[in-house]
Amino acid sequence: MHQPATTNPLIIMCINMTIVFAVLIGLSFMIKFIHMIDPTKPKEKPAEAPKAAPAAAAPAAAAPAAPAVDPNLNIAVIAAAVAAYGGDAKIVAIRPIESAGWKSVGRVNGVQNTVF
Amino acid sequence: MGEFGTAFSVSLQSVWNDSGFSSLTVDNVIMMIVGCLLLYMAFVKEYEPLLLSPIAFGCILANFPKTGFNDEMNVMMAIGFGIKYEIFPPIIFMGVGAMTDFGPMIADPDTMLLGAAAQFGVFIALAGAMLLGFNVQEAACIGIIGGADGPTSIYLTVKMAPHLLGAIAVAAYSYMSLVPLIQPPVMMLMTTKEDRAIKMPQLRPVTKFERIVFPVVSTIVISLLLPPVASLIGMLMLGNLFRESGVTDRLSDTAQNALINIVTIFLATGTGLTMDAESFLKAETIKIICLGLVAFIGGTAAGLLFGQIMKVATGGRVNPLIGSAGVSAVPMAARVSQMVVQKSCPGNFLLMNAMGPNVAGVIGTAVAAGTALAMLQG
Repeated sequence: MHQPATTNPLIIMCINMTIVFAVLIGLSFMIKFIHMIDPTKPKEKPAEAPKAAPAAAAPAAAAPAAPAVDPNLNIAVIAAAVAAYGGDAKIVAIRPIESAGWKSVGRVNGVQNTVF
Repeated sequence: MGEFGTAFSVSLQSVWNDSGFSSLTVDNVIMMIVGCLLLYMAFVKEYEPLLLSPIAFGCILANFPKTGFNDEMNVMMAIGFGIKYEIFPPIIFMGVGAMTDFGPMIADPDTMLLGAAAQFGVFIALAGAMLLGFNVQEAACIGIIGGADGPTSIYLTVKMAPHLLGAIAVAAYSYMSLVPLIQPPVMMLMTTKEDRAIKMPQLRPVTKFERIVFPVVSTIVISLLLPPVASLIGMLMLGNLFRESGVTDRLSDTAQNALINIVTIFLATGTGLTMDAESFLKAETIKIICLGLVAFIGGTAAGLLFGQIMKVATGGRVNPLIGSAGVSAVPMAARVSQMVVQKSCPGNFLLMNAMGPNVAGVIGTAVAAGTALAMLQG
């Protein structure tokens, strides 16, 4: 049992907030350091790669993977899903969207179903 | 017949004397009504029903006279030991860790500062409590309500001001459930429409290596720095390791479902059991409930203010609204940020960006509690 070091609320706030900030800033640097030394992180693509001569072989190398994500199959599945809704829907175009909105909506729904 | 009548009368007298009715006071009845009111809020209004309902029922149970809950060994006393010896809050933290995705915080560690800034609310309330006549230890426990973290509030209060446990726990959990009502007006007041429209970049993917190394290293750092909260932080990170390791699914499942539910029942019922009329029906309780609100609003405002500073410092990359998620009600505060942003700007999704400060707030509140313990524990 010991007496508190101080009972002045302003001093308590200053000391405590300094420690809270210091710990969280320290953790944020630690996270950056972990990211830096992470041996499993994906290698960043060199900027000059497209210009390099061996890169020309890349499309050929990627070709065998194409059947795994057959775009025609995706289009057929999406068209069937839209048709299943019925109505007068008319498919004008099927293309990848740039916005991350759909992904975000999925995440929002996922988190909203979580109760702590 | 005369003998029978006498025996009957004596027995009846004895049953009456042993019954709770003979010792029931008006204060007990008032507290039972308070318990029923809390049950109403839990079941009808759905304010944190998982926590408020056992607290409410514990409150009713605590006000039956002559139960011997505090005098002899029984299940109620055993539940009380779980709180008195700080067993339940760390186990709850393990479940929270198992449920929490640290990914958004790891992906954008700069937003951790918002989790620190929101702790200012704790000290605004601490100062207010001292002005209202509470001693420094009591004031620190009242202030920690502003951290919006039930287990940490209970943990700190049991160590520094156990006589205030009932009032502080009820205030903390009530305000946590009221986050969607308390925060939005402050958020609207402290941000412009342009602020709310700021779209934050999508977070980078976080590797499994980072997800596993972070809890281990942060446990080592925080526990060495602040040993009083080693059990809270240690269990939080252990639960998170169960989740992230990928090889302990059964442990993760138990920690985030069965175990946390069981311990929540005990912790909340035990908290309710501390709400006997003698220790709850005081002017201090009203003060604590008012100060809890001040702490919540102060924390939200401080987070938003720091969000504005970060917006300027990053050249408008940070949406200041994620600052309000720095109070640690996980994931409620992050959801409220998302909700407010969507009202102003329907295509703007910053839920995952808000989860970073939200999770950092949990760590920040635990650090603030640990520092308060180190500085003020008598």
